[in-house]
Amino acid sequence: MQWKLFADLAETAGTRTVSLDADCDTVGDALDTLLSSRPALEARVLDDDGDVRDHINVLRNGENVFTGEGLDTPVDADDELALFPPVSGG
Amino acid sequence: MRPLCVVGPGATTLTERLAARLDGRVVTVERLPDGSDPAPDSAASYGLADDGVWVGAGRDRSESDLLDHLSVDYDFALLAGFEHLRLPTVVLGEDTDRPDDREAESEPLYTVPSLDDADLDELATRIESLDPYVTLESLVARLKNDSRADRAGAIATFTGRVRAKDDDDDPRTTQLTFEKYDGVAEERLAAIKDDIEARDGVERVLMHHRTGVIEDGEDIVFVVVLAGHRTEAFRAVEDGINRLKDEVPIFKKETTVESDFWVHDKSS
Repeated sequence: MQWKLFADLAETAGTRTVSLDADCDTVGDALDTLLSSRPALEARVLDDDGDVRDHINVLRNGENVFTGEGLDTPVDADDELALFPPVSGG
Repeated sequence: MRPLCVVGPGATTLTERLAARLDGRVVTVERLPDGSDPAPDSAASYGLADDGVWVGAGRDRSESDLLDHLSVDYDFALLAGFEHLRLPTVVLGEDTDRPDDREAESEPLYTVPSLDDADLDELATRIESLDPYVTLESLVARLKNDSRADRAGAIATFTGRVRAKDDDDDPRTTQLTFEKYDGVAEERLAAIKDDIEARDGVERVLMHHRTGVIEDGEDIVFVVVLAGHRTEAFRAVEDGINRLKDEVPIFKKETTVESDFWVHDKSS
């Protein structure tokens, strides 16, 4: 599966895309794998309790995971995951 | 309209050869030398024949004014001797005189060693797949020609543009840079369009958001609605731009004379 990062999250991570080879069952697993080797991104995305900050969006195949099962949402190997701050078009 | 800039030796000839290959209405623009003054007695002058043949000249148009004007009437614009940050460019010949500071997010750049090496069929195919240059005027023109226009007594529009200042004391904003989540942004825009077009009295909704670098004073986003009457037209425009700003994954970085920052950081 692949993460896509946008705006300041891509700048903080130093990349716009991250491919994961690791075995991940849920979006939460994939997020942990993404953040584990990127402390600056982790500090930007998670609060002091280790929860995803309220304004951070997490999408699986274009759908916001927090409108469904949240980080427990299952993932497949060919899923596209996305992480971004509040949208600011217009 | 799909615009393409061509620079380097033989640029004008290449635009003429390409114009003959493209399927659609093509306009070519040639760069005049500095100090050219083809219309000395008026702001603009035209010559027109009974069969529709015309020539024109004038003295008061910028490159973006001209593109905006052409976008209503032509499918392709080939500009010889011009480069533009957001437009794709073909470079002919040795690439020696060009600055190296083109940013990575600017449009794709094709290089061809010389005029006679240019593969016209391949270039024509690439031009046909470029992102269109969209203006308010081109969207309004599309709605006036829409199959539902007979039912519609109103066209209402919203244009979002780069605001240099919120307040007299603000550091001046020189440009905004937008990035988009390709694919998902289009899905969200299509969902908003479908919802609003399903309303009684709303015949058609067009929305377009530009990406890349947009300078102070330039247009960013358009919402254009064809509707039976003004009330549903105005409401649809307002709801369309509000939902676009809330729901579509597009991100804005602001550059002022003092600093660069992501807009969501500043407001949070």
